[in-house]
Amino acid sequence: MPASFEQTITLTGDLHARPAGALAVAAAKFASAVSLTVGTSSADAKSVLGVMGLGATSGQHVTVVAQGPDAEEAVATILAILAEATRVGA
Amino acid sequence: MSLDARVGIVLVSHSAELAEGAAALAAQISGGTVAIIPAGGTDERQLGTSAAKVQRAVKLADSGAGVVILPDLGSAVLTVRALLGEAGDLPTPVELADAPFVEGVVAATVAAAGGGDIKAVLAAAEEARHARKL
Repeated sequence: MPASFEQTITLTGDLHARPAGALAVAAAKFASAVSLTVGTSSADAKSVLGVMGLGATSGQHVTVVAQGPDAEEAVATILAILAEATRVGA
Repeated sequence: MSLDARVGIVLVSHSAELAEGAAALAAQISGGTVAIIPAGGTDERQLGTSAAKVQRAVKLADSGAGVVILPDLGSAVLTVRALLGEAGDLPTPVELADAPFVEGVVAATVAAAGGGDIKAVLAAAEEARHARKL
């Protein structure tokens, strides 16, 4: 059973195309499967179009789940990108 | 192929501006680490396609990991297919993607930036047809 980690962040801004790209590029570097869930929609974090298709906006809760050998690091990395990218004024 | 080599992307559009704009958008979204070479319009920048332009673009896009070509419509596909049929004119593994132009280049470029090989980049481009915007 591979390690699984999960953490939720509340967005302080909308998730635009550029951070969605940065997120997918970063997620691709992990061996773990990484997914994002917003409300009832989920996307593979390694798919930029999937991440953009979530249409995540300010105030929404995004849950990041990773499963695999580097799951903990993957969740931490994706959360940091979400926090930075949606920071007010970023 | 070096560890740092990224799959290159070539955009073949009837319009030089369309290819250049899509390349700029994809470069920004993917972080600017992938070669995205526009090959739009004729050699005189009129609407149309140019096999010579595509050939130059493929050479520029290649860094050893292969090149994925995205055509916009109809005769752009024919131009690329004719070129691929002429053995020896293109020095690297080249794949022609059956994908929507804008979504395809964004998905392909992000996959290349993440270190995906030519099969992964082609698959990312072609999966773009299933992505929902809403």
